[in-house]
Amino acid sequence: MGKIIVMTSGKGGVGKTTSSAAFATGLALRGFKTVVIDFDVGLRNLDLIMGCERRVVFDFINVINGEAKLSQALIKDKRIDNLSILPTSQTRDKDALTREGVEKVLNELSKDFDYIVCDSPAGIERGALMALYFADHAVIVTNPEVSSVRDSDRILGVLASRSRRAEQGLEPVTQQLLLTRYDPERVERGEMLKVDDVLEILAIPLLGVIPESQAVLRASNVGMPVILDEASNAGQAYLDSVSRFLGEDVEHRFVTPQKKGLFSRLLRRSA
Amino acid sequence: MSIFSFFRSAPRASAVQAKERLQIVMAHERAGRTGPDYLPMLQQELLAVIAKYIDIDQNKVEVKLDRGGDCSTLELNIELPAREAAAKALKESAKLAVAGNRPAAKDGDESDAVKLAAGGSLTNGGVKKRR
Ligand SMILES: Nc1ncnc2c1ncn2[C@@H]1O[C@H](COP(=O)(O)OP(=O)(O)OP(=O)(O)O)[C@@H](O)[C@H]1O
Ligand SMILES: [Mg+2]
Repeated sequence: MGKIIVMTSGKGGVGKTTSSAAFATGLALRGFKTVVIDFDVGLRNLDLIMGCERRVVFDFINVINGEAKLSQALIKDKRIDNLSILPTSQTRDKDALTREGVEKVLNELSKDFDYIVCDSPAGIERGALMALYFADHAVIVTNPEVSSVRDSDRILGVLASRSRRAEQGLEPVTQQLLLTRYDPERVERGEMLKVDDVLEILAIPLLGVIPESQAVLRASNVGMPVILDEASNAGQAYLDSVSRFLGEDVEHRFVTPQKKGLFSRLLRRSA
Repeated sequence: MSIFSFFRSAPRASAVQAKERLQIVMAHERAGRTGPDYLPMLQQELLAVIAKYIDIDQNKVEVKLDRGGDCSTLELNIELPAREAAAKALKESAKLAVAGNRPAAKDGDESDAVKLAAGGSLTNGGVKKRR
């Protein structure tokens, strides 16, 4: 039985798709059969981030509607053996996601895959609710910024009351924080919430801190999950996070500013 | 930015303010979220009844729901206006304890009868005085 992971945030543009792509790729690199599903109906983007946009023929909604078989819609990643992508529709709206339809697809996938990563759309409406409803694990993607933290808290409330596990009185969805776009230098200057502040407020375990990094945009330009850019901070931080997700004890990196000489710091400040 | 600003003592960091503001707003939002569906209505109606008899300031009303093991309490703290101008500001609060017999009370459940428990009267010794 595959485990279902949802990448969710409430707020838009915080890095859910970037993180879904990275995480799914990371899990596959570690040998797990993994599929990543785009729940952002109408705003398909995961295909671009994964670099398979030209291979989309059928999508998630086609499968839900019985217009295509799951095997026809799944796209196997060209770089990594164990990885598949289930893209979403660009033309329909979120109402196309029915609970029964989603459940059927997830059930079928969980026979073949170890992990099913659900890339949630922003908001707390149908698309987001469907993405989190069947989850076993939730990765709360948050930026160190007031509105993102508040929205994450709302999503935690939704997970605690409106997920399948909550409704059926099962063991609750496990929740971990992925703090993305973290800028240690701004934190040091007192301009950005610290990891500890966010942890204190949201009170969930920390999965990882992904630094603000130019590598993310570069990777998206070429359709490569940033975790494959192993030279980059962001790529390494995602690799660490995947290891932690798998239960390994890995120290947090990139949470303090990189050491610089006084001279370059002065230059930077006066720039 | 001049070289002197490097040594200038920093103003209160904006991140500190961000944290404080978040803590306040989220404490509020979390409290509102844990309540059963009927809570806001119940709150409003109780306040409306009290307002019929006493001139209360809506801003000086505090409503709290506590979930206990097998007993939930709804606490209404209402600051009553001082009776006489001469009287020193006397703060009184009425505490209405509403006991539900299950913690996860569901809307419209029969067993969930709301009863006004001891201390429910506003006019007798049930009134809890602060200070
Ligand atoms: N660690 C990072 N460093 C720099 N930029 C980042 C980082 N993470 C994400 N971004 C950028 O932030 C933007 C939003 O990212 P992404 O699309 O992953 O967010 P999202 O939460 O999926 O958005 P939506 O809510 O619209 O689905 C993108 O332009 C991405 O390149
Ligand atoms: Mg997205």
